[in-house]
Amino acid sequence: MIPDRIIEQGTLTTAGPRTAVEVRLPWYRALPGSCIAGAKLSVDGVEAPAESLRWSMNGREFGFEELVDETGEWWFPTDSAVLSGEVQASAGDDHEVRVDLTLYIPYIIISDTETLHIEEHDTKTMKAVAG
Amino acid sequence: MTGLGTPIQGVTLYSFTRAFHGREYDLEGLIRKVAAEGYGPGLEVIGFSSFRGFPVIEDSFAGWFRDLVDEVGLVTTSLAVNADIGIHRDRLLTQDELIEYMTLQIKAAAKLGFPIARVQISIEPDSMEALAPIAEDHGVTLALEVHADQYASHPRILALRDRFEKVGSPFLGFTMDWGATVSGFAPSLIEAYRRRGASEELLSKVVDLWDTYYEQGPPADQAQHGQRFGSFIGLAAQNGRPDLGIDFGINGTGLFGPARVDDWLEIMPWIRHVHGKFFGIDENGEEPSVPVRDLIRLLVESGYSGAISSEYEGWHWNYWQSPFEIIAGEQAVQRSAAADAGSRMITDAAEARSILNAHLAQPVRG
Repeated sequence: MIPDRIIEQGTLTTAGPRTAVEVRLPWYRALPGSCIAGAKLSVDGVEAPAESLRWSMNGREFGFEELVDETGEWWFPTDSAVLSGEVQASAGDDHEVRVDLTLYIPYIIISDTETLHIEEHDTKTMKAVAG
Repeated sequence: MTGLGTPIQGVTLYSFTRAFHGREYDLEGLIRKVAAEGYGPGLEVIGFSSFRGFPVIEDSFAGWFRDLVDEVGLVTTSLAVNADIGIHRDRLLTQDELIEYMTLQIKAAAKLGFPIARVQISIEPDSMEALAPIAEDHGVTLALEVHADQYASHPRILALRDRFEKVGSPFLGFTMDWGATVSGFAPSLIEAYRRRGASEELLSKVVDLWDTYYEQGPPADQAQHGQRFGSFIGLAAQNGRPDLGIDFGINGTGLFGPARVDDWLEIMPWIRHVHGKFFGIDENGEEPSVPVRDLIRLLVESGYSGAISSEYEGWHWNYWQSPFEIIAGEQAVQRSAAADAGSRMITDAAEARSILNAHLAQPVRG
């Protein structure tokens, strides 16, 4: 697990009420959308509302409820996805960005009905750019 | 089996996860480096790690990959495939669905030129039996990985072994993962916890707890496994570092399996592939927590002439040392141990190709 690589340094962009950052998979192998179970995005300690979060990968954008059944699009380990949400980040200033990720590991079964999930987070400080 | 084995040296690209994930090397660059620096000739790849869009493999990509492997003089051994039984959020795949899921990956292995597909424990004996003719049609041996917290004499593994014996297909066997027979909590992971601020007192308690389980031997069943997992979490909590508890549990039970080396004899005739799992190399050039020399001796004396993929797992926590030097160090230990056992590791590609073909073609009881 490589959680220190979740947030891509220097990728914070802001446009109107929304802020976005590029994120990397903290795991060694590709996972389908169905295994990306949740995320949080915070800027300077303020968390974007869950319902405002959007996830983009492979050129497609999803709400997290849409990822639940998504076994066609996969997050490849060297690709960046984009996490965005409604939270303020003033352009040109430094901000502390925190991303939390919950991922299911589909081949590790920990009981008759339960799949292992991991919760990872990363915090980095970077300048926001107007998007 | 008769005669001493001559295992084939090799590596899985999983060992270089940090470099690939960090975009230091792409797939081609990594394969060229493996060849140029002599980590081969055996080459193992994880499908879902290295091939974008896996298990869909375009003809043009397969051609490019096979040409590259030929050009640099490597030998494809195992394609590690995954039994993603938990791919749906709300339920596990049925075994019929899992067979279909695995069939696509077996076809991908054949297309890419891998004679072995490493499969995983979620595939039950009935499903392995159902997959045997599919494996045979594609000329791909299915080698189910015996990985901590399981071990060779675990009831689930013995049930698979007995089914393999009944079916009698040369295309069904096991991948031996050395992580099932570890002899100590990896010192490099202790160092990583130290760097995360864990106290020396807590670290010595973690080592002591693991040593206690080593003395007791591997867990008899899932309940005992769960109890041990919980005890690592409890230890962290009692010592003021609850944040480290899950990590202690996952590594202490799922990476460092406490079975003895000779436990592998239970399934030795069915071992078609080996993951030379290890965690680090110490200042004396030895692996301090995996009995590499004993494992190589066991394989050589058992007549094993398949591939051993060096599988460096210390990359998870060791960000301060180069994996490339560590893997070279472990392969040197393997070669030295094979010589001490009166044999040698195969490092020539042509010889490796012919020995691997013979190893996979022979009857399991051969």
